[in-house]
Amino acid sequence: MNASAAAIELDRLTKRYGAARGIEDVTLSVQTGEVFGFLGPNGAGKTTTIRTLLNLLHPTSGAARVFGLDSRRDAAAIHARLGNLPGDFAYDPRMTGRDLLVFLAGLRGLRGVGRGEALARRFQADLDRPLGELSRGNRQKIGLVQAAFHEPDLLVLDEPTAGLDPLMQEEFLAFVAEEREQGRTILLSSHDLDEVERVCDRVGIIREGRLIAIENVAAITARAYRHVTIQFAEPVDAEEFSSLPGVSELERANGRISFRAEGDLDAVVKQAARHTVTDIELSHPTLEEVFLTYYGAGEAACSPR
Amino acid sequence: MLAAVILRALRDQRRAPLTWGGALGAMSALMALVWPSIEGSMERLMKSYPEQLKEAFNITAINSVETYVDAEMLSLILPLALSFLAVRIVTQALAGAEERGYLDVVLTTPVARRTLVAGTWIAAAVVIVAVLAVIAVMTLIAGAAVGAHPSALVLGRGMANVWPLAMLFAGVAALACGRLHRAAPVTALATGTLVAMYVIDRVGKLADPVAPLRRVSAFRYYGSAVRDGIDPLAFAGLALAGALLAVAGAFLLERRDVR
Repeated sequence: MNASAAAIELDRLTKRYGAARGIEDVTLSVQTGEVFGFLGPNGAGKTTTIRTLLNLLHPTSGAARVFGLDSRRDAAAIHARLGNLPGDFAYDPRMTGRDLLVFLAGLRGLRGVGRGEALARRFQADLDRPLGELSRGNRQKIGLVQAAFHEPDLLVLDEPTAGLDPLMQEEFLAFVAEEREQGRTILLSSHDLDEVERVCDRVGIIREGRLIAIENVAAITARAYRHVTIQFAEPVDAEEFSSLPGVSELERANGRISFRAEGDLDAVVKQAARHTVTDIELSHPTLEEVFLTYYGAGEAACSPR
Repeated sequence: MLAAVILRALRDQRRAPLTWGGALGAMSALMALVWPSIEGSMERLMKSYPEQLKEAFNITAINSVETYVDAEMLSLILPLALSFLAVRIVTQALAGAEERGYLDVVLTTPVARRTLVAGTWIAAAVVIVAVLAVIAVMTLIAGAAVGAHPSALVLGRGMANVWPLAMLFAGVAALACGRLHRAAPVTALATGTLVAMYVIDRVGKLADPVAPLRRVSAFRYYGSAVRDGIDPLAFAGLALAGALLAVAGAFLLERRDVR
């Protein structure tokens, strides 16, 4: 495997549904061995981009290449090397997870289910119950297993942690990190900023069908602000905090101050440490807030690499 | 890959020989069971039928248990029911699977869409054979039980003649799945075609102005294999037409979006 080659290349990929918007001129490149996050609110075009890449949808214009192969002409060769977890994964409710793995192994020309059993144990997925009897989270675990059991070079995961409990989300993130260590490429779509921050090398942000930015995760994290609330044992002077770099929208009530902080929090923590802190709360903005803050309505600050 | 698609579709339909074959076989067996008790009055009954009606339903003479089963089951119920079953098998595996989002998993494996269509059509062919076999066996057993002793050869060819007709409509369903994304419109289109062809053929036998239209009806080439034997040309022609329609459906499916 050539580590420097692009695993995925989208060149002005456009998909329209008649007059309705799909995606427009999406251009990006994902390197082999990279974990790439595809971020955007619901309906932004993440799934349309992925399904066009996978040849489930045919592009209106533009091109998609995977491992240097054309996504339409060479679909079978590409599909042999990828695993796909569709958004809102579902399959015949009468089938068990094991039935599904055996079926998919047959379609892939494999004799066994590879590491399917091991993955099922890892994700605590019940392979012996019909899919129709499983909760959404347990069905999603089967979805993860079926996407990865054949050790694909490229994993395409659309909202992979939807329905998973926090422990299993942690397990999933650890799995993604291990896959990256083994040189696999992962395209992960999500609307969860925290999840993407933790495992992705780079992220592409899509809004209203257009890719508006591609950034290193570190850069987007630095640009993202936090909501900070600090409870002090005694009332403090709000001026001490409002003058700190990156602090804005400060409010004070009794011994508590709340504000918005951009960049690193070193100055805020040091200033708070001068007083007796009884509680501190940090929350990330929603992705929607990040969009509104950094990209603004109508702005298209696309900077693909 | 084709084998995996066929095996999966067969597994999905594993109950069909029992449910469809059992139910239709019970009806057919009932006809065989009652034959000895009505055999004597059949000649009088036949004389009371209008000639055009007898022609419309391919009834020339009901003088044996095989011709009785032919008139009661093979002229209407089995062709329509098994054609519907074939439509249902293909529709569930293609448009139905697409509607429920199952195709995203299947079509991101190396399997080609044309392989999926071919495997589904072949599986439908096998299931129809199995259902027909169950019906034939139940009818033969019932006939033997009451001493009517139907001929396995004659009854078998009558049953076998239903197969290409059903596979033609499986092809119609596959063609519709090449364009439509949901099971309901595919089923409506294919069964609508089935019923329309049946009506055209029957009305065409009764009304001269409609007679030329019979050429477009698959039932025009169905005939009565119990009475006349299997017409190899019609048999092969219907099966080939079904296969070609499925090929056309696969061609269309390859060129459209999967929703």
